Amino acid sequence: MKLRTLWRSAALLTLAAALFFALFCASVIAFTASLLLTDNNNNTDSNLNTIAQSLTLNDDGSYHLPAENAAALADKNRWAMLIGESGDVHWQLDKPADVPAHYEMTDVARFTRWYLADYPVTTIVRDDGLFIIGEAKGSIWKHDVAMATDTLRILPIFALASFLLMLAAVLAVSALLLRRWFRQDQERLDAVRADWIGGVSHDIRTPLSLVMGAASDLADRPEVDASARRQAGIIRSQSLAIRQLVGDLNLTMRLESAMQPLRRAALQPEALVRQAVADFLNSGMAEGYPLDIDLPETPLPQIDADAALLARALANLLTNAVRHNAAGCTICVGARASGRHVILYVESGAPAAPPAAPANALAPDGNAAHGTGLRLVTQIARAHGGEARFSSGSHFRCDIFLPI
Amino acid sequence: MARRILIVDDEPTLREMIARILSQAGYDIFAAANCSEALAIFQRGGIDAAILDVMLPDGDGFSLFKQLQALGDVPMLFLSARDEDAARLEGLGLGADDYITKPFLPEELLLRLAAVLRRVYRDDDKSTARLGDIEILWGRSAVRRNGETLALTAKEFALLRKLWDNRGNIVTTDALCEALWDGPNIGYDNTLMVHVRRLREKIEADPSHPHHLLTVRGLGYRLAREEVP
Repeated sequence: MKLRTLWRSAALLTLAAALFFALFCASVIAFTASLLLTDNNNNTDSNLNTIAQSLTLNDDGSYHLPAENAAALADKNRWAMLIGESGDVHWQLDKPADVPAHYEMTDVARFTRWYLADYPVTTIVRDDGLFIIGEAKGSIWKHDVAMATDTLRILPIFALASFLLMLAAVLAVSALLLRRWFRQDQERLDAVRADWIGGVSHDIRTPLSLVMGAASDLADRPEVDASARRQAGIIRSQSLAIRQLVGDLNLTMRLESAMQPLRRAALQPEALVRQAVADFLNSGMAEGYPLDIDLPETPLPQIDADAALLARALANLLTNAVRHNAAGCTICVGARASGRHVILYVESGAPAAPPAAPANALAPDGNAAHGTGLRLVTQIARAHGGEARFSSGSHFRCDIFLPI
Repeated sequence: MARRILIVDDEPTLREMIARILSQAGYDIFAAANCSEALAIFQRGGIDAAILDVMLPDGDGFSLFKQLQALGDVPMLFLSARDEDAARLEGLGLGADDYITKPFLPEELLLRLAAVLRRVYRDDDKSTARLGDIEILWGRSAVRRNGETLALTAKEFALLRKLWDNRGNIVTTDALCEALWDGPNIGYDNTLMVHVRRLREKIEADPSHPHHLLTVRGLGYRLAREEVP
């Protein structure tokens, strides 16, 4: 993946995370605010406490609650009563009929926690007893929150952990989406490229057949004079080279866009080498180039590979050796095992690859292969999970590393 | 008797070129530019082999192949500009005898056609071949030398057949072992040498200095090409 796309995706992911965090905070704030805003029943403890404490005992033994407080209570459909030390109701305001007049300790324990005759009640302690304020049935939901303080301490950590988990989930989902988006892009590009190459190579082939056929015919006709026959021979051999090139280009494109499924089988490396050399000799291209075969005494481990592709790679290397070396130069083909790889190699006598760039030009890939034929070798090696290493100097050599 | 070959290709120049190549090699040619012409010619009968282009104006080579096959069992080769494996496999998977990609050298076409014809029309008990002064009797799995008939074992026959099919070319020991035995070629090298020696004893005048069945060191064996008189 290019660096620019990497930055782009990183920025998008950070944005997604930030957005999520903002939403999270906003929702927390909104929830809290809504709680506060809807709680307009003046249920704050201090308010009720004030009302409770405002009940006063008169000299004659009766109680007096200021009018505005009584009104405030009535407004909200509340009732109230005062329970003395003895457990009797000493004063009441709008107390419903189904609320008892006397309470034991156990009753008090029950209603301070839950409900009194299904009425939700608030209990305020006074010096002379308990001031009870009751609400309408079903208007308040009570819940009991008792937690060990140890557990309480864990709460912030728990909150943080769950937040991080949610964040990770968001990041994972965005990453997956991004990957699919990039892959679709890549696939579309690949398809376009493959279409073009396939179309071009197909269109070249018919005219090339005619060129090849006509040139062959001329080259073989005895009534045509020798120099014309020689030229016809050149046309024929060059059109063969074009055929090879078109085939290589096509294959390159398909390997690069992963449109070429490998037909793997368990292969014996020695057999590959022998077959490649035999094919090369049979083709007649090796005329004048002594071929050496270098195989170890002990059998090499088998490799899981596509025989046709590897044969193509070796053939390309051999053709390259002949093309860039003068006759008489020895070509050596061999195989050996090294660590977790099997290495197939082709080596030829003199410097084979012509300098591809002027000496002062940047060579970003150092000793990389030049030319379609050699590039295909690199790709075939890579398609097998291996690599091709080229070296030039006194001998041109290519080693194809294939995993066992 | 000259073999009668049907050629189907919509490109006229190419069609004429193939016709010329094949007739110069001694075949009788029947040319068609599309599927309907091809079917008409084929139905008249007498065709020994067909060469089909894959892309035709009124259909594709593969479906034409199926139609021709229904009419008669004759060897067929596909000719195409597409070398994609899928196309190749489809062609061969249908039972075609070979698939040649364009462009091709005339001699390539001739060799492939000859090989297919040889393979298909070989099962003739009277078919024989000459190897120098030896006569190979394929139908009887034997060779005749100096009036004497020597039987070939199954392995010797397979060995000779494989080398003969690739006459003039090197056949690797691996390919020979594959032709003779199933399974991977591990440890069969010595056995192969024994069979080669036995075969040489039957076909060579001097088994220690073979003229026909030659050893290619490090690679395999080769059946020497016919000497041009």
